[in-house]
This record gives sequence, structure tokens and C-alpha cells, in this order.
Amino acid sequence: MKTYKLKPISMALLCLTMGMSGLAGANAYIQCPGDGVLGPRDAVPDQTVNDPVTRQPRNIKCMHLSSSEGYITMADGRPQYIFGFADITGIPESAALAEGVLNAHFPGSMIELDEGQEFYLTLSNSGFVIRPDLFDGHTVHFHGFPNAASAYDGVPETSFAINPGASLTYYYNLVEPGTYMYHCHNEAAEHMQMGMLGNLYVHPAQDATGCAGNACPVAIRKGGSDPAAPMGYAYNDGDGATAYDVEAALQLGSFDPKFHDADETVQPLSFADMNDRYAMINGRGYPDTVNPAPLPPPSSGGTILNATPSVHDLGIQSQDETALVTASVGQRILLRVSNLSVAKIFTVTLLGLDMKVIGAGSKIMRGHGTAGGKDISYRTNSVTLGGGEAVDVMVDTTGVAPGTYYLYTSDLNYLSNNHEDFGGMMTEIRIN
Amino acid sequence: MNTAKNWLCRAAAGVLLGGATLVTPQVQAVVDGITGTLTGNVRAFTLTAEHFNIKLPDGAAIPMWGYNGQYPGPTLIINQGETVQITLTNVSVPLPVSLVFPGHPGVTASGGLAGILTRETCDPATNATCTTGTVTYTFTASQPGTYLYESGSNPELEQEMGLFGTIVVRPAGFDKTVAANRTAYGAGTGTEYDYEYLFVLSEIDPDLHWQVAGGNYATVDNTAYHDTAWLINGRSGPDTMSPAAVPWLPHQPYNALPRTHPGEKVLMRMVGGGRKSHPFHHHGENSVIIAQDGRLFDDPSTPAADADLSRSDYTILTKPGQTYDAIWRWTGRALGWDVYGTDHDISPHPHGTCIYSDQGVLKDGVKGAPLPGAVADDLVDNETGQPAVSGRYAPGDGFHDATWEWCPNHGRSLADLGLVLPQNQDLTLGGFWSGSPLLGASGILPPGEGGLNANNAYVFIWHSHKEKELTVNNIYPMGLLTMMFVEPFKDSAGMPIVIPR
Repeated sequence: MKTYKLKPISMALLCLTMGMSGLAGANAYIQCPGDGVLGPRDAVPDQTVNDPVTRQPRNIKCMHLSSSEGYITMADGRPQYIFGFADITGIPESAALAEGVLNAHFPGSMIELDEGQEFYLTLSNSGFVIRPDLFDGHTVHFHGFPNAASAYDGVPETSFAINPGASLTYYYNLVEPGTYMYHCHNEAAEHMQMGMLGNLYVHPAQDATGCAGNACPVAIRKGGSDPAAPMGYAYNDGDGATAYDVEAALQLGSFDPKFHDADETVQPLSFADMNDRYAMINGRGYPDTVNPAPLPPPSSGGTILNATPSVHDLGIQSQDETALVTASVGQRILLRVSNLSVAKIFTVTLLGLDMKVIGAGSKIMRGHGTAGGKDISYRTNSVTLGGGEAVDVMVDTTGVAPGTYYLYTSDLNYLSNNHEDFGGMMTEIRIN
Repeated sequence: MNTAKNWLCRAAAGVLLGGATLVTPQVQAVVDGITGTLTGNVRAFTLTAEHFNIKLPDGAAIPMWGYNGQYPGPTLIINQGETVQITLTNVSVPLPVSLVFPGHPGVTASGGLAGILTRETCDPATNATCTTGTVTYTFTASQPGTYLYESGSNPELEQEMGLFGTIVVRPAGFDKTVAANRTAYGAGTGTEYDYEYLFVLSEIDPDLHWQVAGGNYATVDNTAYHDTAWLINGRSGPDTMSPAAVPWLPHQPYNALPRTHPGEKVLMRMVGGGRKSHPFHHHGENSVIIAQDGRLFDDPSTPAADADLSRSDYTILTKPGQTYDAIWRWTGRALGWDVYGTDHDISPHPHGTCIYSDQGVLKDGVKGAPLPGAVADDLVDNETGQPAVSGRYAPGDGFHDATWEWCPNHGRSLADLGLVLPQNQDLTLGGFWSGSPLLGASGILPPGEGGLNANNAYVFIWHSHKEKELTVNNIYPMGLLTMMFVEPFKDSAGMPIVIPR
């Protein structure tokens, strides 16, 4: 959950934006059991809620995402208009819609969940200001959720999208651990190219229980104190085979700058001519990928809209996920790699470190995707992912020399930030 | 059965009308296709190569070349072990055409002229008195599975123009009326299914097709390829969802409209028919990918042929010329609420009770309290049809034996979870929205909304996850998409919903 500081938006601009988006005075509507008891509803439960039948406390997790537009800075310094989500969990309903205006982050906030949780995800639509002609709805598609119900699958053609100024709460009973992703599915070709994408993964119940018959210890992240305990497991493997010490979610993606500029300036959008020229990991091109901190807010230099330069300088750190991975020699690193590019299939390789694919498509790499199936995990030097695919890669650094190792696309022309060479889809795993 | 005689009569009629033949695929086979004529152990097919136009959903007509005047070519349905004999005649394609059969060794060809990959028909444009205009190809279909066939002449042009199709080889002993023998790779291989659907994925560069139609097939630049339309089974969404063999798509007879019931298994035959890779994402649940290129993912070191090396995924990355077979099933397990409704929203519940055993104690969903003496609705593992010997829900599996309802969630409503859907004025509704979050129920919709979901199914979009391919002529949503309908077993009047096999 993010804590929000007051952003340096002038009151005049704030009133202008709220008025233009028609949101002044509008409230979000959050649905989260146990919330709103001791204070206003803000997607943080104030008290636990018991299951009426078992009388046991329910394992509730709530989150509030806003959806709107904003700006990021590409690795060559170019500001770029985007659509996106922001995590506004903790903001009271009365302030939530305004908080979402121009607050797009790329990627959207990482959603990290536990098997056994009941996940209440409220999506509020804060509308558009840069494009006041757009009245697009938004959705959240929990990509890969097993046995999904259409109403919560986030596909507007088969259910609905939430209109500007309104809120919709999705419900997910989490019973399958693994690496997923989430994105808007409304006008998907446009909204996804524009950046409404994010990492999402579910930790297994085994983290808290260990394996049957003490075959593996409780994980450190769930209070395990066994000296051999890993930080966590990727799956309920039953034997500890997917144990890891360091975990990193790396989402591949790419932007077409002409498409983003066209969307910003109310021009026709060409899907057929989509030509992605910024390849990114977690919303950044190299070397920004290895900046461990959130990137500074987009600057007003070099904007297209010269009329309102302050629009870009909103103090919103819209790129707040690093792609840098650090570990110590001997640690096992779990890389949750997903691809949400709408136009490109990427292959990534890790120079000098051993990659082992232990999961794919949110299932363990065993026969039929079950823990009891035959081991079909494999060692490789590269993984190839189309959009909507994810793999779990285990990197064992036992016996590895300390240093910096590069994870990068072997589509070598994408080691670039548009016209700027030496960049793009590359990050570092630093072993100390 | 599509006998040779019937086909020739239709072909003659087509020639008289000056165009390609109108194809009416049979629906006896599980996937639409043709079965040729069987004489002894030889199954014979007669194929032509013709030119015609197809339609894209934005209204554009695109010139194509295709076998039997259709795009894609007819699906050839063959039984394992049969000798296949295909006679190819070039009727109206201005270049020599041929057939190659990836995945089938030992193909012999006779007639026609020698080509680079195989023997090919003569070029009617340069040989007016063509006496070598027919080529016959023969091979033995020794392995079950899903295969591509395509032209081996000038393939980079002729495949793009549409000269390809699918071959389905049924395993020995296949019988679609017997559940244990309705399999992809044979009885006992764990590849049983209830419904079977083909997904041949392809792309079109309309500019290239118009250049070819204008006679520039010798000079068209294939290296400047720029696809702007994407298709499943020769149709671009939403035409994928129109019925098969609709009269307004006379040369695109196949559709892609998967339907199933909860708990039933769907065999997806994925074929990469174009030159691009497509990440095919099937919403709603993972699939188990059991085979690639007609070979089961089976561990040869264990005696049983049982796809024990198959893997589960939510997206299948098809590649050019490659095929996959995958099994998909939706059950609604553990969603946390009763998707069929509760006393709050539906009376009576369509399934009545859903009494299951929870570690030896009989319960009925959310009520939870023990029900001594009740008759359980869950007495077997639905997967095997036999009582389970162990597990939390033994002898059951948690699923209602007849309806596949997940009993532990029986009777729990969304309201019980503290959830309310927004009012319609806050929503932009989809055409496939029934108006209700429940499976099998509808809600009141504003005038003009909905209407595309007559059985109140759970509808899931199945599509390429290269979202630029969900457009045609820059119009969204079109292209490489269709919908999977998970339908209730009975409609709102209580009549069974039968999905044809």
C-alpha cells in the first residue's frame, strides 16, 4: 500500500482538472469487508470479518486502483503520454477519484497476493483530462485467473466496463498460486498499448505450512525460522523444489511513440501500423531499468503540448518499479517474467547465469501442471514470450562469481530506446 | 458423408456458374471437414485449386486462392493407418500448385510436373493443352494428430494467398459416440474430450492479394509483407461467431464458435496456418497442452501412452506451420460464491441441493452444518466416475455428480460476500452480458443491450494476445478473436441444452 504525500499541483490546476473531468464532488464506492467501520471507507479493513459458517476470520485483502492517464519518461529522456492504473489504497472514497486524475503509473502497481486470500479489488475510473473528449470505460482483467466468472473477468464485451466517475469491485478467491498479470481489457489494443498493464502474482499456501512430512520448512516470508528456510516457494511443490531466496517480477513490454503521440493529440490511431520502438522491462528502458529508485516525475522539457508545460510536472513518480535484481552468491533467484507487449514477441537471455524454467502459465512445470506430475522443468539459456505468457525462471547462484550479469533481449535491435542505441530491454542481476 | 459423386455434381454446378464451388461442410464429423471416399484401406480425396474472394468484417473483399474454393482448404478427416490418396487439379490459379504434408513421411506423388518440393500441376496459363494438370499424392497416415497441408509450389506466395488446410488423423478405434473412444490419441491415453474445435490461425496482407489479383504474382515483393487482417479458420472476428456455412461467406465455410458445459472437456486443435506466431490466450481457465505437431507429450520410458509430459498454460504460442492439441475445461471450482444462484436471487436453485462430504461429514454449501441422513449429491470423483479412495471430499470430489456444481460454495451469494454490482448507468455493457453474474440466469437490460447470449452462458474471449491483431482496417474489435460459451446444462425453461458433437 502506498502512502501518499501531497503533490505539488497548484490549486488552480486541481480545480481545473477536477472540473474538466466532471469529478468534483463525486465519490468512489469501495467494497471491502471490515472497511469503513472506524473511519471512512478506504480499502483498508478496520477489523477482521469472520466467516459466518466456520466462524474463523476471513483472510481478506483489499486494494483500490484508479484508472486514468498520465506521463512517463522514456529512457532517452522523452516524455510520453500514457494511460494507466495507480494504487490508491488508503485514500478515502471522497478523495479517491480526484487522487486518480492524471495519476497513471507504468507499470501499474505490483499486485502481490497469497493463496487463501479473498481479494476485493475496487477499480475507480478517474476519466481523462488531456483527452476530455474520451469517455472510455476501464476494466481489470486478472489474466490467467482459473475458472473465472465472466462478471469478474474484466472483458467488457462479455460483461461490462466501469464508466468515468464510477467504481466497480472485483472479487477473486485465490486458490492457485503462480505468476499472472493484469491489464485493462476495454478497447484492449489501445488501452494496453497505452500502458494499462501490471505484474500480479500469488504466493503458495506452502509458504505458511511447509511441506507435508517436514519435507520442506515454513518460508521466511511467513515467519519460518528454520536455518534452511527459503524466502518462499513458487508453487506448492510438496518437496521444496521451487524454493527461492530472492524474488523479482519482470514484465516485458514495448511502446510505439507515434501511437502514444497520436492518442495525446486526438489523431487517428493506427493499429495495423503499430511499430513499437521502446522495449522495456517494468516500464523502463536501460539504463533506467537498473535505477533502484522510482524515476523522477516527467519533466516539462521537450513536450509536445507547449501550451501547458506544467501538466507534465505534476510531481507524480509514475515509474516506480525497478528491474534491478540483487542477490548474494549461493542464493536462488526466482524471476517471474511476463510479457504484455501488444505487438511483439520477445526472447530474453541471461548471460553467465543458469536459467531453469520451473513454471509457466501459473502452473508448476510438472505433468498436467500438478505437483504430482512428472518433472518437466528444463534448463535453458533463453525464454521466448508472446504477449500474455509468463514463465517462472529459477536462477541458482551457487558457485557463481560475484559481479554484474545482464538479462537482455536477444532481439538485439530492441537494445535501444527508439533512435538511441545502447538501451532498451536490458537489466542487471548484481551478485555480491 | 461427402461422396465423390455429390462433390462432382456440386463442382459441375459451380463451373457452370463461372465461379468456385459452394461448399457445405458436413457436421457429422466432430470438426467440420470432409472424409473423402473409402475403398478398402484407401481414403481418396479430390481437391481443386481455385481463385475466389473472401470477405473481411469491415466489408472488404480480398482475392484468395484456395483448395476446393474455400479458405482455409477443407479439413481432411482420416483414420490412423489408412492410406490417403489426394488428387489435385488446378482449376483457376495462374501458377502451378501442389500439396505438401508436413509431419507425414513417405509421401509419393505422380502426375504433373517435377517441382522443387514435390510434383505440381501445370500452369494453365502457359499450357493451354495441359495434359499434366492433375497430380496424385499418396501417404499412409500412421500417427493420429493434427497436421497442416499446404502448397509446396511458390509457398511464400501460395500459402499467403490461402492454399493450406488441416488434416485430422483420428486414432485407431475412434468412436465419437463412446466416451472412452472419443479421444485425440487413442483410448487410455488420457486425451478424451467432449467437444472438438479447430483453430487455424492466419494473417492477410490485403495489398499483396490485390497485387496478385492484378496479375503481378511474379513481381510482388514478399519481403515488404505487412499484415493488417488476422483470422481464425479463415474468418476474422466477429464473423468467427457466425454459423458454419453461412451463405454470405460462401468461400469461408468454417467458423470458430466453441461451446461447452461446466466440467466437460474441449479439445483445441491449434494450427499455425500463416507465417507469424500468435500467442493464443483462452480466457476462463488454463489448458493442458497434450501434443505438438501430432506427437503426444508422452514419456517413452513408461509403458503407458498418456501425455504425462503435458504442461498447463493460459496462453498457447502458435508458430508458423506448427500444431498443438490442448484440452480445456471450466468447472467453476472454488470461486467462493454460488454461480448458479441462491435463494436471494433465484428460486428454486436450478440444482436443488448440493450435499457433499467434507471429511466424512455431509454438508450443503454455505449452510455448513452437518446433515445426518441426507442423501449426498457428490458420491464419485467426476473425473473417473468412480468413488474417490482418499481426499477431503471422499468418496466425492466436491463437485455435484450430475451438474459439476462446486458444492462447498452452494448457496453463498455475492451479497453474502458484501458485493454489489454497479448500476447499469455506471457501466458500459457488453453484447454478451446476460444481465446477471450467474451462470444460466439473465437480468433486465436496457433496450438494445445484450442479446448475444441466448443461453445465459459464461462467455470468455479467446483471442490473440498480440492485441494489434484484434483489429481489421484499424477497427477494434475484429480480427483474431472469438468467444467460448460455457453454457448451463439446462436453459431457463428447464430444457436440456444440447451441444452438437
